[in-house]
Amino acid sequence: MLNDVFVSLFKRPFTERYPYAVKPAPDRLRGKLLWDESKCDGCKLCVRDCPAKAIEIEVVDRAAKKYLYHYRIDRCIYCAQCVESCKEGALTMSNTLYHLASADKAAFTEIYGAKGTGACSEEAAEK
Amino acid sequence: MSVETDFLRIQGSVAPWVSGSRTAENRLDMDTSAERLVPAVTALRSLSWGYLSAITGFDSGTAAPSDGHIELLYHFCNGPAVATFRVKVPREDPSVPSIGPLVPSAVMYERELAETMGVKVAGLPKKRQFLSDDWPENVYPLRKDFTMESAAATREVGPAVGSEEAPGTFIIPIGPQHPALKEPGHFELAVDGEIVTHADIRLGYVHRGIEKGAEDRSWVHNIYLMERICGICSHIHATAYVLGVESLSGVAVPPRAQTVRTIFCEMERIHSHLLWLGVAAHQAGFDTLFMYSWRDRETIMDLLEELSGNRVNYSVNLLGGVKYDIDGKAADSVRRGLDFLERRTTHYLKIVTTDESFLRRTRGVGAITFDQANLLGTIGPTARASGVSRDLRVEAPYMAYRDFPVRPVLDSRCDLEARFVVRINELFESYRLIREMLDHMPAGELAVPAPRKVPEGEVISRVEAPRGELFYYIRSTGGVKPDRVKVRTPSLCNWAAVLSVAVGHKLADIPMIMVGIDPCFSCNDRSITLRRRGSAESWSWEDLRAYGISYYAGGGA
Repeated sequence: MLNDVFVSLFKRPFTERYPYAVKPAPDRLRGKLLWDESKCDGCKLCVRDCPAKAIEIEVVDRAAKKYLYHYRIDRCIYCAQCVESCKEGALTMSNTLYHLASADKAAFTEIYGAKGTGACSEEAAEK
Repeated sequence: MSVETDFLRIQGSVAPWVSGSRTAENRLDMDTSAERLVPAVTALRSLSWGYLSAITGFDSGTAAPSDGHIELLYHFCNGPAVATFRVKVPREDPSVPSIGPLVPSAVMYERELAETMGVKVAGLPKKRQFLSDDWPENVYPLRKDFTMESAAATREVGPAVGSEEAPGTFIIPIGPQHPALKEPGHFELAVDGEIVTHADIRLGYVHRGIEKGAEDRSWVHNIYLMERICGICSHIHATAYVLGVESLSGVAVPPRAQTVRTIFCEMERIHSHLLWLGVAAHQAGFDTLFMYSWRDRETIMDLLEELSGNRVNYSVNLLGGVKYDIDGKAADSVRRGLDFLERRTTHYLKIVTTDESFLRRTRGVGAITFDQANLLGTIGPTARASGVSRDLRVEAPYMAYRDFPVRPVLDSRCDLEARFVVRINELFESYRLIREMLDHMPAGELAVPAPRKVPEGEVISRVEAPRGELFYYIRSTGGVKPDRVKVRTPSLCNWAAVLSVAVGHKLADIPMIMVGIDPCFSCNDRSITLRRRGSAESWSWEDLRAYGISYYAGGGA
């Protein structure tokens, strides 16, 4: 053990320099939920299976498949059950958007589909 | 001896006290009554067969309070076999005798029944063990007629500290809130000088009502609820639950999914054992080992994150399979990580068996003899360090353990050192298993669809968690939600052994003995309670010091 201690004296610190140096996240990291309007058919399976009641789907026009997708970031437990439940592949979890903390409550409710453009890519969500 | 002949032997010896019995695969159900329970258990104990694994209670009634029965299930386990005594008591007057005199570990489970189900068990201590002290009287959360409104009232709380019996003894209370306790638990140690003469524990400070919560959530939601029972062994809880539900619905999970689940189970075991090694070393005052073992544990945490996307709640399980595959690239990084950990583990094994000052804290301390371990129903590495070979992966292989057999790790030295050696040797076994599973991963699907409604029935799901046997009892009435989910965690079994072994040891050894079963514990407090002539007062350290000075100034009167 003394040997361990001595060797460690000449090693770099193990501590990561976060937030100054951010390590790339693993590919499978489960970050913010993203919704693709063009694929969603409004079946609400994701709403039913969400264990945290973080999702709500508001129907604007069922014939035209127009929905508003309410996503509560503060409730989400990032389990990805919704991604698995979705038969249309409309949901994905971002592996880059995970800095989600905020001092503002409004930042925790995302309403996809409300900004006119609809489809929610990572770039759109970042804005 | 095979399970069938065992069951025939049991049926033969308990026959006079049992009104009917049925066998199904690995299970024997015997109907008995409250009056006949004690002789029936005596007959079973006289065969020296198995240990009491859990007592489940469920309310078969409806919302009307006077209606229905409470059914109590006393599960005795031996390897893969489960023998259950079923006792039906009327909901209006649910009373049963205690089997504590026959099976000491039963008392913990009986207290849980009394508090959560309202079953009157004769001869139990009045003090609460699981529910909070201000929880209203005669409100039992696991009954079906329970409403949130009935729990809104509170009851008067007396002095929080101090045991009812033995006035005049000096009791050292520790916890529930303590800078060094990782989880809130309250311990009362009666001491005579430095020697502990009695130990008692109060649990339930983080009682979250998960079993009740499960009755109000769908089968899918419950995977994630169960996963949150424990932050260290999250995956094994979800696994025990999904295995039970899948067997109720008759879903055949593809072999590749089972292997992925098993790999996660073993990785979780590695992370849990390394964490324990650090905590235990810290309690012994060996912080260097604590720091290094936790640094190395980061390797496995990073691997778990890489495989699943999360470091703690991996959420790998689905009903019917798993979400994530372990493919070539990920498998390679797991192999690299394991190579590093194996080198480090060899080093740690050398340290805990050769470091002189560390051995003084562990060698010959806290011995749980083979007979004690057997009688008190200890499980997991704690039992295996006393030579009791209870490991469900070996005795009743499930998932991929059927194809990748586990070699049991045993030690017969019974002391704390043995508990270190057993856990570290289990790490090597886990490394070997994971490598083998990665090399021979079966091809195929990751998941099959599972029905949303689960057919009526009940199932017992037992798996080997890092701390020992984890017991799930799941009951369905054919709906979209479970009727009852009973969880018996491994630590609850081992408390009985620890509390009885603590007696006779020096106070300074207690933290090590407690941590030996793998909960978290520390022993140093700034406020103590002095009991004199039945009064309880809390003293600050300053008061106590002043009292000590005046006491000795007066000649110790």
